[in-house]
Amino acid sequence: MLWFEMKKVFCKFKNRMAVVLLLIILAAVSMLTMNRVEYVGSDGSHVSGILGARSLRAEKNKWKGEVTQDVLEAVVRENDAINRSPDSKSDKIEELNKAYAKKQGFSDIAELINSAFSEWRDYDYFAIDNISAEEAKSVYERRVSNLKQYLGSGEEAFTDSEKDYLIKKYEDLQTPFYYEYSDGWSALLQNISTFILMLALVIGFLVAGIFSGEFQTKADAIFFSSRLGRNRAVLAKMGAGFLIATVFYVVFVLLYTFIVLLALGADGANCPIQFDMWRSLYNITFFQAYLLIVTGGYVGTLFAATLSMLASAVTRSTATAIIVPFVVLCAFPFLSRVITLPGICSFFPDQLLEVYITIKDWVLVGLGGKVVDVVNVLIPVYAAVCLLLAPVLYKVYRKAQVA
Amino acid sequence: MELEFKDLTKKFAGFTAVNHINLVMANGVYGLLGVNGAGKTTLMRMLCTLLVPTSGTITYNGKNIFKMDGEYRKRLGYLPQEFGFYPEFTVQDYLMYIASIKGIRPVVARKRVKQLIDKVGLSKAAGKKMKKLSGGMKRRAGVAQAMLNDPEILVLDEPTAGLDPNERIRFRNLISELSEDRLVLLSTHIVSDIEYIANEIWLMKDGSLMHKGTVDEIINSMPERVWQCFVGREMVPEYMRQYKISNMKAEPQGVELRIIANEKPSENARSAEASLEDVFLYYFGEKAGEEDAVV
Repeated sequence: MLWFEMKKVFCKFKNRMAVVLLLIILAAVSMLTMNRVEYVGSDGSHVSGILGARSLRAEKNKWKGEVTQDVLEAVVRENDAINRSPDSKSDKIEELNKAYAKKQGFSDIAELINSAFSEWRDYDYFAIDNISAEEAKSVYERRVSNLKQYLGSGEEAFTDSEKDYLIKKYEDLQTPFYYEYSDGWSALLQNISTFILMLALVIGFLVAGIFSGEFQTKADAIFFSSRLGRNRAVLAKMGAGFLIATVFYVVFVLLYTFIVLLALGADGANCPIQFDMWRSLYNITFFQAYLLIVTGGYVGTLFAATLSMLASAVTRSTATAIIVPFVVLCAFPFLSRVITLPGICSFFPDQLLEVYITIKDWVLVGLGGKVVDVVNVLIPVYAAVCLLLAPVLYKVYRKAQVA
Repeated sequence: MELEFKDLTKKFAGFTAVNHINLVMANGVYGLLGVNGAGKTTLMRMLCTLLVPTSGTITYNGKNIFKMDGEYRKRLGYLPQEFGFYPEFTVQDYLMYIASIKGIRPVVARKRVKQLIDKVGLSKAAGKKMKKLSGGMKRRAGVAQAMLNDPEILVLDEPTAGLDPNERIRFRNLISELSEDRLVLLSTHIVSDIEYIANEIWLMKDGSLMHKGTVDEIINSMPERVWQCFVGREMVPEYMRQYKISNMKAEPQGVELRIIANEKPSENARSAEASLEDVFLYYFGEKAGEEDAVV
């Protein structure tokens, strides 16, 4: 039964076209992601993509290891030395590029220093040029002290328990950071949300006709009058929907991941996410962030697919069922931009596909007197909603009457 | 095996489609005759558990069929009036799928599908997509799916609608062949379809059962007589106003009319033997000729 339900989906021309579209999207997003990594050669020329990544990796991995105080000090000294070179003092872009080429190897560590020595809501690109090697040693301490200073400034609206939670999270971050080339992971994470959104919409499209198809082809009378038409055959439809959602999600996310990491390099999985998101309160590595984003995306995709199937069963219209994932995943974020709905927006299902942004920002919720970050609430809550909607979907469909 | 409708009623917003029907059925072929909108399809859909009655019950050997759920449906084969299918499936795939939702194990299903494909004459089209089949071939695939589980109860809703005369006769014979040792409920508004194969006929009008019985009993239930006469063409409109005309045949010397009336309509009229078509016209009047009905 399950096999035939899958066959029903994929023998439709429009669904096969949707799969082709998904492959095109995969190719396009992979290309865009690969081109995010740029390398500036010693002659000042730019190379992006696979070749750029290869050279950049070699350059950055010269600084591979723990970013200790000595390393921070060394980075400031090296930066100063390059700044004093004739290339850096030139007015010509080509010459400045040559100077930048020399800084690429430690640019991520330089960015940490810049972040630590910038105003809270600002980023000073030249902060590293204005501090001493000795001062650079305090990067990790400054991360916590800057936070405390900001929380004490009265510019924000956090409760005391939220402040305590943030400070604790910052203090818990393990230092010194482990560093190596991680641009592959960085590029992957920056574009993966867009890819997951498109994947979720296509999956919603694929599953939209599973339940309404019986009514639209007028095969409903035979389906529901058959022995298993009101029990196991309905479960087979649900199984096909969830299987399509899961297999497509896993396969396409893995394909995207493999393509990007194969091209740009998979090193840096164990580097802390703070290399990319200095203020993040998530004390996780790039790989853990990837897992969190992918898990959130999966639950979001499953939620949109479940709603699509429910709409398909209730309205008996495939068109309506196709619209549902668009509303859930695209209209909600639009709504949150045009209407001020503080707080509520953080709980919209589209946030599951925006875990990357949530990791970057601070979105806290109070739960039973405890403060937790929103991702840790959203993922289990929407997973539970999917589980609760499954029996509703089953009951709605099995009770269908055919007039 | 006994199926019973007890005070069965189905109401939709604003009208009653099936109105307090009481019937008992055992093995045999039952012909449900009525004009479009008489409630035949609604009655059949309740029998197939597709619609829940507003009131009343349907029992199978004393048990409520809706409570029996799959236990009842495993005994059921249904060919709906609008036979829907999956256009991209081949005949073979379609039947294998229906076999699976009927709970037939794949090994058994493969044998059964082959047997039925041969029986309904679709052997050469087994690998063809359903959407490529002619109307008659689709209907045959429809009968095959209904027969997959070798049902005790076979419900056929307008099975010959839209078929050409040759296909209709073939189809009628096929149904007759399949009706042995089971209960067949055949609904139609084409009188000749059931005249030949039904053991019992039910006449349904406006949701209610008007008459039931064998062909002879139904014919005898008509209180008026049938007459045949020749009249001039100019007289035809006048006769049509005065009498129920069940048939008109143009001849060189005038028009031969078949008239249903108590009294002899003209001097030259001669008494004729009543047929089921005459009865149908008598009970259903002008509505009997609507749409594609063949009286």
